Amino acid sequence: MAPGMVKKTFLAPLGKDNPVFAQILGICSTLAVTNKLDNTVVMSLGVIFTLALSSWTISLLRKAIPSRIRMMVETMVIATYVIIVDIVLKAFYPDMWRQLGPYVGLIITNCIVMGRIEAFAMQNKPSLSLIDGFASGIGYAYVLLVIAFFRELLGTGTLFGFQILGSWWTGWAIMVMPPGGFFMLAIFMWIAREAFFKEGSNE
Amino acid sequence: MKTQSFYTRRIHPIVVMALVSIACILVTATLHLTTLERVQTNEQFFVWRSVLDAAGVDHDGQPASVAALFEDGVSVQQDIYHVERPDGSLRYVRQIIGPGLWGPITVMVGFEDDLTTLSGVSIVSQNETPGLGARIEEAWFTGQFIGRQGPFRMVEEGTSEADDEMDAITGATRTSEAFRDIINRAVAESDSIARGQ
Repeated sequence: MAPGMVKKTFLAPLGKDNPVFAQILGICSTLAVTNKLDNTVVMSLGVIFTLALSSWTISLLRKAIPSRIRMMVETMVIATYVIIVDIVLKAFYPDMWRQLGPYVGLIITNCIVMGRIEAFAMQNKPSLSLIDGFASGIGYAYVLLVIAFFRELLGTGTLFGFQILGSWWTGWAIMVMPPGGFFMLAIFMWIAREAFFKEGSNE
Repeated sequence: MKTQSFYTRRIHPIVVMALVSIACILVTATLHLTTLERVQTNEQFFVWRSVLDAAGVDHDGQPASVAALFEDGVSVQQDIYHVERPDGSLRYVRQIIGPGLWGPITVMVGFEDDLTTLSGVSIVSQNETPGLGARIEEAWFTGQFIGRQGPFRMVEEGTSEADDEMDAITGATRTSEAFRDIINRAVAESDSIARGQ
């Protein structure tokens, strides 16, 4: 495999092929978990883990899976990794697990995971698929972290739960509520698309 | 594709799916069973910590010391936790479950020995909006009930003065109302603790 290919596979999801602002995948969790940074970090780690390993696993099995049941196999593999994340959190980080509630389980339905498997892992080698899954996870994570940074800061005046803005700051409740997610995501997409896509071109 | 045999079309997919399922179930079941004890300990720990919080017993939040404090000072009689504090005074803690905005809220409510003054309130589980309703878990919110007597009325965040006023959470009025109702129900039913004795 050419070294250029690895670099390209790794960099594409961070910019032009970003799963969130270019492919518009995984929007539900982007809106749901970005009101606090610590939730976002754990959710991002869960998605990176699930994406990388399920891409790798499916790519390993890709020649053995009959095409008519491939989606069932994909879902089964994804669900297994998500349950691993859920059980590990539940056993070792119970406070975090309680805060995230149902969101960890919902990684199963995160369209990025299925999307990358269908679009990439089914056609590529395991090593390259692992890189693609990992990079897509990073691409997802950094968008979420930027959004969560502004939502938590403006919404409650804190970062990771620590008070940053003084008592003069009145939290914008709307930032913590779902509409704040829509506003921040739209603003982020606007800026990111200006930066990554030239006016008038489809690339 | 029309030349595919019956095996390739019908049997092979079932075999593959079955193998994948068995492999996945083995992995998750093993992990579940190996962590089961730990998970149960965690859940137990949450309940114990909530009881101690509601009774106003100081602890450092470490599982071992919480367990030790619980073993020493707490006895359960007819679903009421009788907590003997280090200074010898007695607190009664009961669990109460009520509807929140999104799901049930489970609360430990502690009473002093007059059975009307609250010694503390702590949340065992809740499913309210993170950052808004979920702030009922914050110490300033649960702490405001200590030493007060219900039933409570809700006032704007940061404006409670009278003994029966409780600060609501701005942006989470419905959750605050739900929480007020749960606490008031606990207060109204507190005489059942006395009857139970």
